[in-house]
Amino acid sequence: MKREFNKNFLVYVVLIPVLIHFIVFQVYPFVLSFYLTFMDWKIIGDPEFVGLKHWKYFFEDKVAWKAIWNTVKFSIYYIVPTMALGLILALIINSGIKFAVFFKGLFFLPVVTSFVIIAGIWGWVFRGTEDGLINYLIGFVGINPQLFLSSSSQALLVLAGLSIFKVAGSTMIYYYAGLQSVDKQLYEAARIDGASSWKIFWKVTFPLLKPIHFYVAITTTIGSFQIFDSAYLLTAGGPNYATTTIVYYLYYTGFTGLNLSYAAVLSYILFFIILAISLVQRKYIGQESNHY
Amino acid sequence: MKKIISYSALIILSFCFVLPFTIMILGSLKVVEYAQIDPLFWIPTDPSIQNFVKIFNNGIFVRWIFNSVVITVIPVITQMLICAVLGYIFAKKQFLGKEVIFWTFMAVIMVPQQLLIIPKYIMFVDFGWINTYWALIVPELWGIMGVFLVRQFLQGIPNDLEEAAYIDGANDVQIFFKIMLPLSFPVIATVGTFSFISNWNDLFQPLIYLTNEKMYPVTLGLASMLGKEGNFGLEMAGSAISFVPTFLIFLFFQRYFTEGIQMSGIK
Repeated sequence: MKREFNKNFLVYVVLIPVLIHFIVFQVYPFVLSFYLTFMDWKIIGDPEFVGLKHWKYFFEDKVAWKAIWNTVKFSIYYIVPTMALGLILALIINSGIKFAVFFKGLFFLPVVTSFVIIAGIWGWVFRGTEDGLINYLIGFVGINPQLFLSSSSQALLVLAGLSIFKVAGSTMIYYYAGLQSVDKQLYEAARIDGASSWKIFWKVTFPLLKPIHFYVAITTTIGSFQIFDSAYLLTAGGPNYATTTIVYYLYYTGFTGLNLSYAAVLSYILFFIILAISLVQRKYIGQESNHY
Repeated sequence: MKKIISYSALIILSFCFVLPFTIMILGSLKVVEYAQIDPLFWIPTDPSIQNFVKIFNNGIFVRWIFNSVVITVIPVITQMLICAVLGYIFAKKQFLGKEVIFWTFMAVIMVPQQLLIIPKYIMFVDFGWINTYWALIVPELWGIMGVFLVRQFLQGIPNDLEEAAYIDGANDVQIFFKIMLPLSFPVIATVGTFSFISNWNDLFQPLIYLTNEKMYPVTLGLASMLGKEGNFGLEMAGSAISFVPTFLIFLFFQRYFTEGIQMSGIK
């Protein structure tokens, strides 16, 4: 009995400071943010209660809807290519090539590299002038120089390309784990039945990776709704709001426009979107991942 | 045939993944006088370390590196220790409120950090933490994901081990330091690497909490250089230097790090 008490005593000694930290830096801000959406607060001076004003404004705010639409478009450009590239990379390193560990590392490298570095290089490579590297290269096949980041129809695509390059390595790791846990006997059986490699991939490997497809799709979607760094670094939301994503608009409203209350509304909108995606994840993946 | 497809895909993709890093390294060795008009400007005809000399002589850059080290190393150490202790507690101890606390932690993971940034900014204005290290260190002292990883790992270790140690007269503190900590080294290394990479590379939080250039971490410093300086070689030299610590961490801990990613998702 005494020992039970001693055990728990130590546990609480550790736990209490951690819980205080948790409440101060996670729970309280979460609640404060919600409270803030009903207030007008200019940091200096007292907050003033304005009710649903900021929430109502959200529904009329064309830029906010454009930001949501941009983020959805970004997801469309980004999710499937990221998954496809991740899967291709995983298939390559799982195919028994030499130096597989080296290549796994190489493809993973952008994941650990700061966005600032990648944006610095890509911004230069995709310069919208004739002396940009890509414009120089496509010039050889007779394509006219493109504006890229300064074009409202292309900028979001370039940012998506950059993000795909940045995260495909982590998608690869998930698929690689999945591929390694596929039962080799299934391949043997398919081969004995005379199936081609192509057919084995579509009929055996691809369906077996279903739980991973789900998981990767959800995490990639959540990631795409939080995209900020590339838009901030390369286009500042422009041109003509073409790359204003939800988080960029939130940042811009709160910290350039100094409308913290409305930015809090936008952050809750982001939260609801991510919550919805997570609930889908729980519903489907909860059951699917039992295989692994 | 399959081999040929594999190898040609491998060569093309490797080229795409190597190219940006090659541009960075070679670009850093070029001096700006070579006019930036040439698209192949980054290919060195006359390599020089002048950019590196220049950037180190520029006091502010050294300061940015120092800031990054401070706001990265402290949270990495505390994250590893606190997440290890909490992971152990949640994996092996029975106490009042355990389930409630753990599942509250798990629920909070779903809250995007962008939501917390505005109220935290208001709090930090009150605390006087704007333009200080506190704003970037204190909230990062431990992390829920780290606790979750260590807990998952230790749950896989049989309880017999702990019971045997109790019978031999060891107490909780001894068991933690002598058994659990060494055992969970791979997962703690993962937590440390995750924390290092994310703190070193973080742009969003420093952008909000810091306005004084002297307090910038190297990421934000580089971001403020981008385009503004108009000196590609110098930017690339700065990028290369800030890349070294993450690259080294990555080289040494790659195995744990990638395993950690696998573990965090699919069990």
